[in-house]
Amino acid sequence: MAKREIAGPATLILSSLAEGAKHGWALTKDVEEFAGVRLAPGTLYEALNRLEGLGLIEALPNDDRRRPYRLTAAGAAALREHLARERQVVDVGLSRLAAKWGAA
Amino acid sequence: MTRAEKRARWLVLWYPRAWRERYGDEFSELLLADMAERPRSWSRAFDVARSGAAARVGLGGAVHAGARLAVFVCSGSAFVLFGTAIWAQLAIGWQWSRPATPATSAAIIAMSCLLAGFVALAALGAAPVLWTIATRFATRRGRALARPFAVFLVGAVVAVLGARHFAAGWPGTGGHPWAHQHLLPGRLAALAWAETLSVTSYWAHPGALLGFPPDELLWMAASPVALVAAVAGGARTLGRLELSPRVLRFELVLARLACWAMVVFVAAACCWIAAGGTGPRNLFHVGAIDVVAVVAMVATLLVARQAGADARATIAP
Repeated sequence: MAKREIAGPATLILSSLAEGAKHGWALTKDVEEFAGVRLAPGTLYEALNRLEGLGLIEALPNDDRRRPYRLTAAGAAALREHLARERQVVDVGLSRLAAKWGAA
Repeated sequence: MTRAEKRARWLVLWYPRAWRERYGDEFSELLLADMAERPRSWSRAFDVARSGAAARVGLGGAVHAGARLAVFVCSGSAFVLFGTAIWAQLAIGWQWSRPATPATSAAIIAMSCLLAGFVALAALGAAPVLWTIATRFATRRGRALARPFAVFLVGAVVAVLGARHFAAGWPGTGGHPWAHQHLLPGRLAALAWAETLSVTSYWAHPGALLGFPPDELLWMAASPVALVAAVAGGARTLGRLELSPRVLRFELVLARLACWAMVVFVAAACCWIAAGGTGPRNLFHVGAIDVVAVVAMVATLLVARQAGADARATIAP
Protein backbone atom coordinates (compact mmCIF):
# COMPACT_ATOMS: atom_id res chain seq x y z
CA MET A 1 0.00 0.00 0.00
CA ALA A 2 2.70 2.45 1.00
CA LYS A 3 4.86 1.88 -2.07
CA ARG A 4 3.87 5.09 -3.82
CA GLU A 5 2.90 7.02 -0.72
CA ILE A 6 6.36 7.39 0.77
CA ALA A 7 8.14 8.65 -2.31
CA GLY A 8 9.40 12.26 -2.44
CA PRO A 9 8.91 14.47 0.65
CA ALA A 10 7.47 11.54 2.59
CA THR A 11 10.77 9.62 2.43
CA LEU A 12 12.61 12.65 3.77
CA ILE A 13 10.12 13.14 6.59
CA LEU A 14 10.12 9.48 7.61
CA SER A 15 13.92 9.39 7.48
CA SER A 16 14.06 12.44 9.74
CA LEU A 17 11.55 11.00 12.19
CA ALA A 18 13.49 7.70 12.29
CA GLU A 19 15.84 9.55 14.65
CA GLY A 20 13.06 10.66 17.01
CA ALA A 21 9.95 12.83 17.30
CA LYS A 22 10.11 16.32 15.73
CA HIS A 23 7.77 19.23 15.08
CA GLY A 24 7.39 21.00 11.73
CA TRP A 25 10.26 23.48 11.97
CA ALA A 26 12.69 20.91 13.42
CA LEU A 27 11.75 18.58 10.55
CA THR A 28 12.35 21.33 7.99
CA LYS A 29 15.81 22.14 9.37
CA ASP A 30 16.82 18.49 9.78
CA VAL A 31 15.80 17.59 6.21
CA GLU A 32 17.60 20.67 4.90
CA GLU A 33 20.74 19.60 6.76
CA PHE A 34 20.91 15.93 5.75
CA ALA A 35 19.34 16.12 2.25
CA GLY A 36 20.01 19.70 1.15
CA VAL A 37 16.30 20.12 0.40
CA ARG A 38 14.12 22.84 1.92
CA LEU A 39 10.58 21.49 2.33
CA ALA A 40 8.10 24.34 1.86
CA PRO A 41 5.51 24.62 4.67
CA GLY A 42 2.51 23.64 2.51
CA THR A 43 4.33 20.66 1.01
CA LEU A 44 5.49 19.53 4.45
CA TYR A 45 2.03 19.59 5.99
CA GLU A 46 0.46 18.01 2.92
CA ALA A 47 2.83 15.08 3.40
CA LEU A 48 2.35 14.99 7.20
CA ASN A 49 -1.41 14.91 6.72
CA ARG A 50 -1.13 12.07 4.23
CA LEU A 51 1.34 10.04 6.30
CA GLU A 52 -0.81 10.46 9.39
CA GLY A 53 -3.84 9.25 7.42
CA LEU A 54 -1.89 6.19 6.33
CA GLY A 55 -0.86 5.46 9.93
CA LEU A 56 2.85 5.80 9.14
CA ILE A 57 3.35 8.63 11.64
CA GLU A 58 1.40 9.83 14.67
CA ALA A 59 0.96 13.19 16.38
CA LEU A 60 2.07 13.62 19.99
CA PRO A 61 0.48 16.06 22.46
CA ASN A 62 1.11 19.74 21.75
CA ASP A 63 4.40 21.26 22.81
CA ASP A 64 3.17 24.86 23.26
CA ARG A 65 1.61 25.64 19.82
CA ARG A 66 3.95 23.22 18.07
CA ARG A 67 3.00 19.57 17.68
CA PRO A 68 5.67 16.88 17.40
CA TYR A 69 5.24 13.82 15.20
CA ARG A 70 6.82 10.42 15.55
CA LEU A 71 7.25 7.36 13.38
CA THR A 72 4.89 4.41 13.99
CA ALA A 73 5.91 0.76 13.69
CA ALA A 74 4.12 0.62 10.31
CA GLY A 75 6.01 3.74 9.23
CA ALA A 76 9.35 2.23 10.22
CA ALA A 77 8.56 -0.95 8.25
CA ALA A 78 7.43 1.03 5.19
CA LEU A 79 10.54 3.23 5.31
CA ARG A 80 12.84 0.22 5.69
CA GLU A 81 11.20 -1.50 2.71
CA HIS A 82 11.33 1.64 0.58
CA LEU A 83 14.98 2.41 1.37
CA ALA A 84 15.98 -1.21 0.67
CA ARG A 85 14.46 -0.88 -2.81
CA GLU A 86 16.18 2.45 -3.32
CA ARG A 87 19.50 0.97 -2.17
CA GLN A 88 19.11 -1.82 -4.72
CA VAL A 89 18.69 0.80 -7.47
CA VAL A 90 21.68 2.78 -6.17
CA ASP A 91 23.86 -0.34 -6.01
CA VAL A 92 22.97 -1.42 -9.55
CA GLY A 93 23.52 2.09 -10.91
CA LEU A 94 26.91 2.51 -9.20
CA SER A 95 28.18 -0.93 -10.24
CA ARG A 96 27.16 -0.32 -13.87
CA LEU A 97 28.77 3.10 -13.83
CA ALA A 98 31.97 1.62 -12.44
CA ALA A 99 31.99 -1.18 -15.04
CA LYS A 100 31.41 1.09 -18.04
CA TRP A 101 32.91 4.43 -16.96
CA GLY A 102 35.42 3.44 -14.31
CA ALA A 103 35.47 4.23 -10.61
CA ALA A 104 35.01 7.88 -9.58
CA MET B 1 -0.35 40.93 16.71
CA THR B 2 2.85 41.37 14.69
CA ARG B 3 2.92 41.84 10.95
CA ALA B 4 4.32 38.33 10.44
CA GLU B 5 1.54 36.87 12.58
CA LYS B 6 -1.04 38.68 10.46
CA ARG B 7 0.51 37.31 7.26
CA ALA B 8 0.61 33.79 8.69
CA ARG B 9 -3.03 34.11 9.67
CA TRP B 10 -3.98 35.15 6.12
CA LEU B 11 -1.98 32.32 4.59
CA VAL B 12 -3.68 29.71 6.79
CA LEU B 13 -7.04 30.88 5.38
CA TRP B 14 -6.18 29.05 2.14
CA TYR B 15 -7.07 25.82 3.96
CA PRO B 16 -10.58 24.56 4.77
CA ARG B 17 -11.98 25.03 8.28
CA ALA B 18 -11.57 21.37 9.33
CA TRP B 19 -7.92 21.44 8.28
CA ARG B 20 -7.33 24.71 10.18
CA GLU B 21 -8.92 23.32 13.31
CA ARG B 22 -6.58 20.34 13.22
CA TYR B 23 -3.33 21.89 11.93
CA GLY B 24 -3.87 25.67 12.13
CA ASP B 25 -1.83 26.47 15.28
CA GLU B 26 1.18 24.31 14.50
CA PHE B 27 1.16 25.37 10.84
CA SER B 28 1.12 29.05 11.86
CA GLU B 29 4.12 28.41 14.11
CA LEU B 30 5.97 26.82 11.21
CA LEU B 31 5.12 29.76 8.94
CA LEU B 32 6.37 32.23 11.55
CA ALA B 33 9.66 30.35 11.91
CA ASP B 34 10.01 30.24 8.12
CA MET B 35 9.20 33.96 7.81
CA ALA B 36 11.83 34.79 10.44
CA GLU B 37 14.42 33.15 8.19
CA ARG B 38 12.95 34.23 4.83
CA PRO B 39 10.86 37.38 5.41
CA ARG B 40 9.60 37.56 1.82
CA SER B 41 9.10 34.49 -0.31
CA TRP B 42 6.80 34.16 -3.31
CA SER B 43 7.53 30.45 -3.51
CA ARG B 44 6.28 29.97 0.08
CA ALA B 45 3.09 31.94 -0.67
CA PHE B 46 2.52 29.90 -3.84
CA ASP B 47 3.22 26.61 -2.05
CA VAL B 48 0.72 27.42 0.71
CA ALA B 49 -1.90 28.55 -1.83
CA ARG B 50 -1.42 25.39 -3.89
CA SER B 51 -1.60 22.95 -0.99
CA GLY B 52 -4.49 24.90 0.61
CA ALA B 53 -6.46 24.72 -2.64
CA ALA B 54 -5.64 21.00 -2.92
CA ALA B 55 -6.92 20.46 0.63
CA ARG B 56 -10.12 22.32 -0.25
CA VAL B 57 -10.88 20.05 -3.21
CA GLY B 58 -10.04 16.94 -1.19
CA LEU B 59 -6.56 16.24 -2.50
CA GLY B 60 -3.39 15.89 -0.52
CA GLY B 61 -4.82 14.47 2.68
CA ALA B 62 -5.59 11.05 4.06
CA VAL B 63 -6.38 8.63 1.26
CA HIS B 64 -9.81 7.18 0.53
CA ALA B 65 -10.42 5.79 -2.95
CA GLY B 66 -14.13 6.74 -3.06
CA ALA B 67 -13.34 10.33 -2.08
CA ARG B 68 -10.61 10.51 -4.73
CA LEU B 69 -13.02 9.23 -7.35
CA ALA B 70 -15.49 11.88 -6.24
CA VAL B 71 -12.83 14.56 -6.81
CA PHE B 72 -12.18 13.02 -10.23
CA VAL B 73 -15.89 13.21 -11.07
CA CYS B 74 -16.07 16.90 -10.03
CA SER B 75 -13.01 17.98 -11.97
CA GLY B 76 -13.90 15.79 -14.97
CA SER B 77 -17.41 17.27 -15.06
CA ALA B 78 -16.00 20.80 -14.98
CA PHE B 79 -13.70 19.86 -17.86
CA VAL B 80 -16.60 18.49 -19.91
CA LEU B 81 -18.70 21.59 -19.17
CA PHE B 82 -16.03 23.95 -20.53
CA GLY B 83 -15.25 21.59 -23.41
CA THR B 84 -18.92 21.36 -24.34
CA ALA B 85 -19.24 25.16 -24.25
CA ILE B 86 -16.39 25.52 -26.75
CA TRP B 87 -17.64 22.70 -28.93
CA ALA B 88 -21.24 23.98 -28.94
CA GLN B 89 -20.03 27.31 -30.30
CA LEU B 90 -17.98 25.59 -33.02
CA ALA B 91 -20.87 23.29 -33.91
CA ILE B 92 -23.07 26.31 -34.56
CA GLY B 93 -20.41 27.73 -36.88
CA TRP B 94 -20.09 24.42 -38.72
CA GLN B 95 -23.86 24.25 -39.11
CA TRP B 96 -23.66 27.38 -41.27
CA SER B 97 -20.36 26.95 -43.05
CA ARG B 98 -17.34 24.65 -43.21
CA PRO B 99 -14.24 26.04 -41.42
CA ALA B 100 -11.66 27.81 -43.55
CA THR B 101 -8.71 25.68 -42.40
CA PRO B 102 -8.31 21.87 -42.34
CA ALA B 103 -6.80 22.16 -38.85
CA THR B 104 -10.00 23.71 -37.49
CA SER B 105 -12.11 21.06 -39.23
CA ALA B 106 -9.95 18.29 -37.77
CA ALA B 107 -10.09 19.90 -34.31
CA ILE B 108 -13.89 20.13 -34.37
CA ILE B 109 -14.29 16.55 -35.58
CA ALA B 110 -11.86 15.34 -32.91
CA MET B 111 -13.72 17.27 -30.20
CA SER B 112 -17.05 15.83 -31.40
CA CYS B 113 -15.70 12.26 -31.22
CA LEU B 114 -14.09 12.88 -27.83
CA LEU B 115 -17.28 14.33 -26.33
CA ALA B 116 -19.12 11.22 -27.51
CA GLY B 117 -16.31 9.23 -25.88
CA PHE B 118 -16.78 11.10 -22.59
CA VAL B 119 -20.49 10.28 -22.65
CA ALA B 120 -19.71 6.60 -23.28
CA LEU B 121 -17.12 6.50 -20.48
CA ALA B 122 -19.52 8.24 -18.08
CA ALA B 123 -22.26 5.74 -18.91
CA LEU B 124 -19.89 2.80 -18.44
CA GLY B 125 -18.63 4.23 -15.15
CA ALA B 126 -22.10 5.08 -13.86
CA ALA B 127 -23.57 1.62 -14.49
CA PRO B 128 -21.82 -0.32 -11.65
CA VAL B 129 -22.13 2.68 -9.32
CA LEU B 130 -25.88 2.93 -9.91
CA TRP B 131 -26.18 -0.82 -9.39
CA THR B 132 -24.35 -0.53 -6.06
CA ILE B 133 -26.61 2.35 -5.03
CA ALA B 134 -29.71 0.35 -6.02
CA THR B 135 -28.59 -2.66 -3.98
CA ARG B 136 -27.86 -0.42 -0.99
CA PHE B 137 -31.39 1.02 -1.13
CA ALA B 138 -32.93 -2.42 -1.78
CA THR B 139 -31.25 -3.84 1.33
CA ARG B 140 -32.16 -0.74 3.38
CA ARG B 141 -28.54 0.33 3.81
CA GLY B 142 -28.85 3.45 1.72
CA ARG B 143 -29.91 5.97 4.36
CA ALA B 144 -26.64 7.93 4.20
CA LEU B 145 -26.95 8.11 0.41
CA ALA B 146 -30.54 9.37 0.31
CA ARG B 147 -29.87 13.10 0.63
CA PRO B 148 -26.88 13.46 -1.74
CA PHE B 149 -28.56 11.20 -4.28
CA ALA B 150 -31.73 13.32 -4.08
CA VAL B 151 -29.64 16.47 -4.67
CA PHE B 152 -28.05 14.77 -7.67
CA LEU B 153 -31.46 13.81 -9.11
CA VAL B 154 -33.00 17.27 -8.63
CA GLY B 155 -29.95 18.97 -10.18
CA ALA B 156 -29.89 16.57 -13.12
CA VAL B 157 -33.63 16.87 -13.80
CA VAL B 158 -33.52 20.70 -13.73
CA ALA B 159 -30.43 20.73 -15.98
CA VAL B 160 -32.01 18.40 -18.55
CA LEU B 161 -35.49 19.96 -18.59
CA GLY B 162 -34.09 23.49 -18.74
CA ALA B 163 -31.75 22.62 -21.60
CA ARG B 164 -34.61 20.96 -23.50
CA HIS B 165 -36.72 24.11 -23.12
CA PHE B 166 -34.04 26.63 -24.08
CA ALA B 167 -32.65 24.51 -26.93
CA ALA B 168 -35.52 25.90 -29.02
CA GLY B 169 -33.56 29.17 -29.32
CA TRP B 170 -30.48 27.50 -30.80
CA PRO B 171 -28.82 29.84 -33.33
CA GLY B 172 -27.77 26.94 -35.55
CA THR B 173 -31.23 26.57 -37.09
CA GLY B 174 -32.76 29.43 -39.03
CA GLY B 175 -34.35 27.24 -41.66
CA HIS B 176 -31.38 24.91 -41.89
CA PRO B 177 -32.07 22.07 -39.47
CA TRP B 178 -29.50 19.87 -41.23
CA ALA B 179 -27.60 22.64 -42.91
CA HIS B 180 -24.47 22.13 -44.93
CA GLN B 181 -22.09 19.58 -43.52
CA HIS B 182 -24.20 17.22 -41.39
CA LEU B 183 -21.63 17.29 -38.61
CA LEU B 184 -24.10 15.97 -36.06
CA PRO B 185 -27.81 15.94 -35.25
CA GLY B 186 -28.81 19.55 -34.65
CA ARG B 187 -30.89 18.63 -31.60
CA LEU B 188 -27.79 17.35 -29.79
CA ALA B 189 -25.83 20.53 -30.52
CA ALA B 190 -28.81 22.62 -29.43
CA LEU B 191 -29.00 20.81 -26.08
CA ALA B 192 -25.26 21.25 -25.54
CA TRP B 193 -25.53 24.94 -26.39
CA ALA B 194 -28.47 25.49 -24.03
CA GLU B 195 -26.74 23.61 -21.20
CA THR B 196 -23.63 25.77 -21.45
CA LEU B 197 -25.25 29.17 -22.05
CA SER B 198 -23.74 30.37 -18.76
CA VAL B 199 -20.17 29.96 -20.09
CA THR B 200 -20.07 33.28 -21.87
CA SER B 201 -18.10 36.51 -21.91
CA TYR B 202 -21.40 38.43 -21.68
CA TRP B 203 -20.95 38.33 -17.89
CA ALA B 204 -18.22 40.93 -18.40
CA HIS B 205 -20.64 43.16 -20.36
CA PRO B 206 -23.66 43.78 -18.13
CA GLY B 207 -25.13 46.27 -20.59
CA ALA B 208 -25.36 43.67 -23.36
CA LEU B 209 -26.52 41.06 -20.87
CA LEU B 210 -29.56 43.15 -19.97
CA GLY B 211 -30.70 42.93 -23.58
CA PHE B 212 -31.32 39.18 -23.18
CA PRO B 213 -34.87 37.90 -22.57
CA PRO B 214 -35.47 37.64 -18.78
CA ASP B 215 -36.19 33.90 -18.86
CA GLU B 216 -32.93 33.25 -20.72
CA LEU B 217 -31.02 35.37 -18.21
CA LEU B 218 -32.62 33.41 -15.39
CA TRP B 219 -31.57 30.16 -17.04
CA MET B 220 -28.00 31.42 -17.46
CA ALA B 221 -27.88 32.04 -13.71
CA ALA B 222 -29.80 28.91 -12.69
CA SER B 223 -28.18 26.31 -14.95
CA PRO B 224 -24.74 26.43 -13.22
CA VAL B 225 -26.51 25.96 -9.87
CA ALA B 226 -28.37 22.92 -11.23
CA LEU B 227 -25.17 21.46 -12.71
CA VAL B 228 -23.20 22.06 -9.52
CA ALA B 229 -25.99 20.41 -7.50
CA ALA B 230 -26.02 17.40 -9.84
CA VAL B 231 -22.23 16.98 -9.79
CA ALA B 232 -21.82 17.69 -6.06
CA GLY B 233 -24.69 15.34 -5.17
CA GLY B 234 -23.27 12.63 -7.39
CA ALA B 235 -19.77 13.11 -6.02
CA ARG B 236 -20.98 13.10 -2.40
CA THR B 237 -22.93 9.91 -3.08
CA LEU B 238 -19.86 8.32 -4.63
CA GLY B 239 -17.72 9.41 -1.67
CA ARG B 240 -20.08 7.64 0.73
CA LEU B 241 -20.25 4.41 -1.26
CA GLU B 242 -18.06 1.46 -0.46
CA LEU B 243 -17.29 0.18 -3.92
CA SER B 244 -15.74 -3.26 -4.24
CA PRO B 245 -12.04 -3.38 -5.24
CA ARG B 246 -13.10 -4.88 -8.57
CA VAL B 247 -15.47 -2.00 -9.35
CA LEU B 248 -12.85 0.50 -8.16
CA ARG B 249 -10.26 -0.95 -10.51
CA PHE B 250 -12.77 -0.77 -13.38
CA GLU B 251 -13.56 2.86 -12.55
CA LEU B 252 -9.87 3.72 -12.44
CA VAL B 253 -9.26 2.20 -15.87
CA LEU B 254 -12.06 4.42 -17.20
CA ALA B 255 -10.58 7.40 -15.35
CA ARG B 256 -7.22 6.82 -16.97
CA LEU B 257 -8.83 6.61 -20.43
CA ALA B 258 -10.77 9.80 -19.68
CA CYS B 259 -7.55 11.60 -18.74
CA TRP B 260 -5.96 10.67 -22.06
CA ALA B 261 -9.08 11.79 -23.90
CA MET B 262 -8.94 15.10 -22.02
CA VAL B 263 -5.34 15.63 -23.11
CA VAL B 264 -6.31 15.07 -26.76
CA PHE B 265 -9.35 17.35 -26.35
CA VAL B 266 -7.16 20.17 -25.01
CA ALA B 267 -4.74 19.61 -27.90
CA ALA B 268 -7.62 19.86 -30.38
CA ALA B 269 -8.90 23.05 -28.74
CA CYS B 270 -5.39 24.54 -28.88
CA CYS B 271 -5.16 23.51 -32.53
CA TRP B 272 -8.33 25.51 -33.28
CA ILE B 273 -7.09 28.51 -31.29
CA ALA B 274 -3.72 28.42 -33.05
CA ALA B 275 -4.94 27.81 -36.58
CA GLY B 276 -8.65 28.58 -36.63
CA GLY B 277 -8.75 32.31 -37.09
CA THR B 278 -12.18 33.77 -37.57
CA GLY B 279 -13.25 31.59 -40.50
CA PRO B 280 -16.08 32.43 -42.88
CA ARG B 281 -18.49 35.08 -41.58
CA ASN B 282 -16.57 35.20 -38.30
CA LEU B 283 -18.15 31.86 -37.33
CA PHE B 284 -15.05 30.34 -35.73
CA HIS B 285 -13.82 33.42 -33.90
CA VAL B 286 -11.57 32.75 -30.89
CA GLY B 287 -12.63 34.90 -27.94
CA ALA B 288 -11.09 35.59 -24.55
CA ILE B 289 -13.70 33.29 -22.99
CA ASP B 290 -12.37 30.41 -25.11
CA VAL B 291 -8.82 30.94 -23.87
CA VAL B 292 -10.13 31.13 -20.29
CA ALA B 293 -12.09 27.91 -20.87
CA VAL B 294 -9.00 26.11 -22.18
CA VAL B 295 -6.95 27.27 -19.17
CA ALA B 296 -9.73 26.03 -16.87
CA MET B 297 -9.77 22.72 -18.73
CA VAL B 298 -6.02 22.28 -18.22
CA ALA B 299 -6.42 23.03 -14.51
CA THR B 300 -9.29 20.55 -14.10
CA LEU B 301 -7.35 17.96 -16.10
CA LEU B 302 -4.41 18.26 -13.70
CA VAL B 303 -6.68 17.89 -10.68
CA ALA B 304 -8.44 14.89 -12.25
CA ARG B 305 -5.15 13.24 -13.12
CA GLN B 306 -3.85 13.69 -9.56
CA ALA B 307 -7.10 12.37 -8.06
CA GLY B 308 -6.93 9.29 -10.30
CA ALA B 309 -3.29 8.66 -9.38
CA ASP B 310 -4.08 9.03 -5.66
CA ALA B 311 -7.03 6.65 -5.93
CA ARG B 312 -4.86 4.10 -7.75
CA ALA B 313 -2.23 4.35 -5.00
CA THR B 314 -4.81 3.35 -2.38
CA ILE B 315 -5.75 0.10 -4.08
CA ALA B 316 -2.32 -0.85 -5.41
CA PRO B 317 -1.45 -4.44 -4.39
